[in-house]
Amino acid sequence: MSTVRESRTRGAAAGHTGAAAGRPGRPSGSRTTAPYRRRRRWLGLVYLSPALLIYAFVVLLPAGQGVRLSFVHWDGVTAATNAGFSNYTGFLHDPTLRRAVAHTLFFIAFFSLLPILLGMASAALTARKEVRGAAVYRWVLFLPQVLTPAVAAVVWKRIYAPDGPIDSVLRAVGLGSLARGWLGDYTWALPALGLAGTWAAYGLCMVLFAAGIQNIPSELYDAARMDGAGALREFFTVTLPGLRGQLAVVLTLTMLGAIRVFDIVWLTTKGGPGTSTITPTVVLYQRAFANPDVGAACAIGVVLAVVSLVVSLVVVKISEGDD
Amino acid sequence: MISNREKVFNYAVLTLLAAAVLFPVLWILGVAVSPNTSGTLDLGHLSWSNFTDAWQQADFSQYLKSSLIITGSAVVLSTVLAILSGYAFGVLGVVGERLLFPLMLFGLMIPMEAIIVPLYYDFQSEGLTDTYQGIILAHVGMGVGFGAFWMRAAFRSIPVSIGESAQMDGANSWTSLWRIYLPIAKPAVMTLVLLSFMWTWNDYFLSLILVSDPAHQPLTLGLGAFSGRYMVHVNLLAAAAVIISLPVVILYLFFQRQFLRGMLSGAVKG
Repeated sequence: MSTVRESRTRGAAAGHTGAAAGRPGRPSGSRTTAPYRRRRRWLGLVYLSPALLIYAFVVLLPAGQGVRLSFVHWDGVTAATNAGFSNYTGFLHDPTLRRAVAHTLFFIAFFSLLPILLGMASAALTARKEVRGAAVYRWVLFLPQVLTPAVAAVVWKRIYAPDGPIDSVLRAVGLGSLARGWLGDYTWALPALGLAGTWAAYGLCMVLFAAGIQNIPSELYDAARMDGAGALREFFTVTLPGLRGQLAVVLTLTMLGAIRVFDIVWLTTKGGPGTSTITPTVVLYQRAFANPDVGAACAIGVVLAVVSLVVSLVVVKISEGDD
Repeated sequence: MISNREKVFNYAVLTLLAAAVLFPVLWILGVAVSPNTSGTLDLGHLSWSNFTDAWQQADFSQYLKSSLIITGSAVVLSTVLAILSGYAFGVLGVVGERLLFPLMLFGLMIPMEAIIVPLYYDFQSEGLTDTYQGIILAHVGMGVGFGAFWMRAAFRSIPVSIGESAQMDGANSWTSLWRIYLPIAKPAVMTLVLLSFMWTWNDYFLSLILVSDPAHQPLTLGLGAFSGRYMVHVNLLAAAAVIISLPVVILYLFFQRQFLRGMLSGAVKG
């Protein structure tokens, strides 16, 4: 990458002198004079414009409207009325929304922290060595990433069903009294969904960390072993520091996943029983379409967007600061 | 160097985790071929007809048609737009690039949930809800940020001298793009096609909101409707789930490296 950038600047700098030479095949552009480059940049805008138009219509315009709508009360049909900040203060007063936010923290533990711990531990145990069949392991572990969320929901609904494999095993080992419909249980539905999220996120974490470990010079490991470090010391002195960049990426991705979770919740429990698995996006969906309170839904959307942007920026800043 | 004991331990841990990840998938595969409609495993009497039964009872032909139209068009359009905008950012340069490029990246960071409600009302007033055009447009618009970012990186890694010598031979920007740059960037395009295929095929949320007419819904929504109507036929539901995930899983089987590379470096964009 750096070599490309160098050749790029070199080409531009040589542009003026190269014009005189004008020999075909010469790497420095003989025609990259200032007016020409300007014309090219206008041409670039022409190439970009179809994408830009669609992007503006589908993303930018609604993003702006979302902010505007978050300050009104509107049922989607009759005239909107001014709401001030009341849609935002709903986060503080509305018990459903407050529960949803609390669940988000819970989901961060299952979608982000747990997969990161598992992923890092297993990557540390394996990636550095020529593990035979590493490709097969990687294929299997990454598989949930390519499965349709709608299908994953069917799978987990079955696993947690009252006559599903978990309860069958419990009954078989004489713990039948613990068997239950896990997703219909007020206490257990949330952690049950959380574990499904761990299942989905684990492979990505592991594969990213494994890729990162391969970039750590093996001399560092050899040196650590020479100094008599065991597997644990080796992990904390060599592996962990070497994985900071990957950690930042994984943390951003999985946290955003936890903040935005919708598909698996909607397709399995619809936020229930009661509101025991409700998430901000489920509330957003209900407010927007079930009994429309469009302003409130948009306020949730705006807060989600701000939180997501802050999370990505903070994590990127932290990881850059270390380089 | 590590000891044999450590190596064995490594394998044991990996195998255990792989088994844990694979178990739900294998279980549903088992249910999908079991004759028992309550969803209990019965591998003694495989019932392959579950797949055809599910196909017919869930009206999958209609959903499949929609999925193919939506995914096919969205992938082609997204890819072409990604190539054009990546070429603009990566090779030609763009007037106002310092504003426009971050603006496109903004689309990568903003969650779809934040714009979906206003988008729905826009689409409704334009008559785009419940249409193929609408859902395709939505997929393309949401994917264009990543596409531009991805193809820009691919084109930037091609030495400028190559484009300049093409220019010397009289090629204009259009010809250079299709004859010179694109063939070199083919692996990146391939990865982009795979990823956008997967994202569009697997989508549930966008379609749920923008398409309520069953005649235009993709398979993922068909599965939801099916699970509502045929709650009791768990084995058919499982068979339907297997059918829907098959295309992406098969592609993943053949192009594992492209998927991984795309999702990992795509992830790094932040």
